[in-house]
Amino acid sequence: MTTVMKHSDKVNNSAVGLDVGTSRICLAQRVGEEYQYETQLNAFVTIPYSKMTENVLKKEKVPHTVKGAEIVVHGNESDRFADLLNVETRRTMDKGVLNPAEADSLAMLRKIVDSMLDPVKDRQKLCFTVPAAPLGAEDNLTYHEATLRQILNELGYEVKSINEGLAVVYSEMESSNYTGIGISCGGGLCNVCVAYLSVPVLSFSIPKAGDYIDTSAATITGERANRVRIAKEDSFHFNGFFADKLQQVLGVYYDEMIQSLVQGMKQAFANARNLPRSNRPLPIVLSGGTAMPEGFRDRFEKALIEAELPFAASEIRLAADPVHASAKGALVAALADA
Amino acid sequence: MHVVSLIPRTLIERKAGQIVDPVERLRYLQRRSVVLQPRVQAVPWKHRWKHRRLPALALALLLGCLLAPGYKASRIEPISLVPIKPVSIPVADVVAKVWLVDKSGDFETYSNGLRIDDRFIAPNQKRIFYPVYQRTEIDPDNPEWRSEPAGIVYHTTESDQARFTEEENARLKRIGKAVIGVVQQNHSYHFLIDRFGQVFRIVPETDVANHAGYSIWADDNILFVNLNSSFLGIAFETQTQRGDQPSANPAQVHAARILTEMLRNKYHIPQSNCVTHAQVSVNPDNMLVGYHTDWAGNFPFLAIGLNDNYAAPPPSIYAFGFDYDPVFVHATGVRLWQGLALAEDQMQTQAAARGITVSQYRAILKKKYKEILAALKRAATANDNSHET
Repeated sequence: MTTVMKHSDKVNNSAVGLDVGTSRICLAQRVGEEYQYETQLNAFVTIPYSKMTENVLKKEKVPHTVKGAEIVVHGNESDRFADLLNVETRRTMDKGVLNPAEADSLAMLRKIVDSMLDPVKDRQKLCFTVPAAPLGAEDNLTYHEATLRQILNELGYEVKSINEGLAVVYSEMESSNYTGIGISCGGGLCNVCVAYLSVPVLSFSIPKAGDYIDTSAATITGERANRVRIAKEDSFHFNGFFADKLQQVLGVYYDEMIQSLVQGMKQAFANARNLPRSNRPLPIVLSGGTAMPEGFRDRFEKALIEAELPFAASEIRLAADPVHASAKGALVAALADA
Repeated sequence: MHVVSLIPRTLIERKAGQIVDPVERLRYLQRRSVVLQPRVQAVPWKHRWKHRRLPALALALLLGCLLAPGYKASRIEPISLVPIKPVSIPVADVVAKVWLVDKSGDFETYSNGLRIDDRFIAPNQKRIFYPVYQRTEIDPDNPEWRSEPAGIVYHTTESDQARFTEEENARLKRIGKAVIGVVQQNHSYHFLIDRFGQVFRIVPETDVANHAGYSIWADDNILFVNLNSSFLGIAFETQTQRGDQPSANPAQVHAARILTEMLRNKYHIPQSNCVTHAQVSVNPDNMLVGYHTDWAGNFPFLAIGLNDNYAAPPPSIYAFGFDYDPVFVHATGVRLWQGLALAEDQMQTQAAARGITVSQYRAILKKKYKEILAALKRAATANDNSHET
């Protein structure tokens, strides 16, 4: 699924897009006319240190750091080792921002980002995604954004941030002159942004997203949340009958998440005071890993119609490349700024 | 849903629509965003369609015209072997889907009726990596590394046995408890099946259990040496009976069947890698197979839902030149003899293909095994030292 970039490819070095998600970090660059992506899990796991383990990790080129009596494996490989050791992966972020409960969050986030980015020669533009403030809750994004900015600045980039939902608009809504509603259903949050001719006019986030589904389903089934996530990404879909309990439970929590998203949109639109008037229906684009299961779009559309939101949708579609849409949007923003 | 009004297409939009490159189009729109900032409105959105369009449109048109865009849009050589015939029986290797139904407290329940008791769990060293070797290209100093359990070795505890009758219930339970204590203390197996068919998890599957010692097995592609890390150990609380006498009672066989089903499902273990301790155990000191002889001849493969793996030739013989003695033959049944004979045949074929005698070929294979053992010891020593420093 992931297009892995080879750094030897002729990359347009003027700009980089970075989607810093709770679950995954995705890097986007433009190679000629093509967009290319590299994705890493935004997670890590510690394993007991032994010389042999360290040697094998080196040999197999598994990104890792030796830390006292432990080896920290970070990025994509952390999944495999967590499964192997029957433990949960540790996460640098929670609900869209740096994980306050994880002491190593900053160091590990730096490691993961560092492993994805090439050293900068000139002041290269980098645009990274940040979540919107959660609906009905206090905005606690300042520290998160400032910390990311610092990490990326230290790597030599000229940094700016972009709202994650707006990044979806920039990635997918060129044909409507960047007017419409971009929704990114990620791990920690669902981010929504209404943009009018590239200008964000309303953005907010909903705290029920992929992680909520995973942890809720894990509680019911007794599985580890990480295993649930893998099963969800591998085989969950909305159409048809569910063969086992896990699929049934995932269906229940997915529905709850969709309802929460739609009701959140309804509430936000009702309370918004600065929305532009438009005589045209708005396109809606869904993106993010949590929007991937077959049937998700249809289920969302049904919920949206039932909720009677105060606008018409010209279309509701899944992003062309849902997992990479936010990163691509961040790259478009960085290129436009270059 | 309602449709709301009402800002019409502006000149800016039309201009933007003419720009093909998405980045340039965004740049253009952003430059003109000053005229596009939305008006703040105090009226709920759903009622705004009642409002009239504003003079801002005129301003936008004017500015759009004024700001029209000006662009266009070093290692040991591997020892090769003659390819060896596959050991697995060419039948469909299908295992029924099994899933975890419930995990509450100290028990796990699975969809096939398996219930695992975790009360006596004893974590051991983690299984992070273990070395394996390609059958056709064994390079002792350059193994491949695996992490997931690759197979199952079945054992017997060889512990004291009370008669399996109702009158002996108390004694059966007492002995069973003592056995659990011993295997727990020694991290002897991953699972123990007691006389009543109860399944106890002793060592977590993520950890190494001390169950197989010096041992060898191979599937169609990979050679496994010393299976503590690579294979899971399941022990029956029983003593090996000679000949065709059953060593396990029906409750134990049923438990082993559903436990095997679950493990094969979870770790994608092929049938050919479900074997008994007697099939894999070796003694490097005298280069004889069968150092341990538990389940040497009467393991109920078919009742456990597996092919009769006794018919498979032991790789200790055809890959590493081990021999067997009359004691081992006496301990086994007819079924294992077939495998021994096949292994001998394979060795003769390979020796002939190389144009050397069987004893010369056996010497090459033994040397290779010793090299692997030495490499494993070096790795273990380096590992131990790294812990000390």
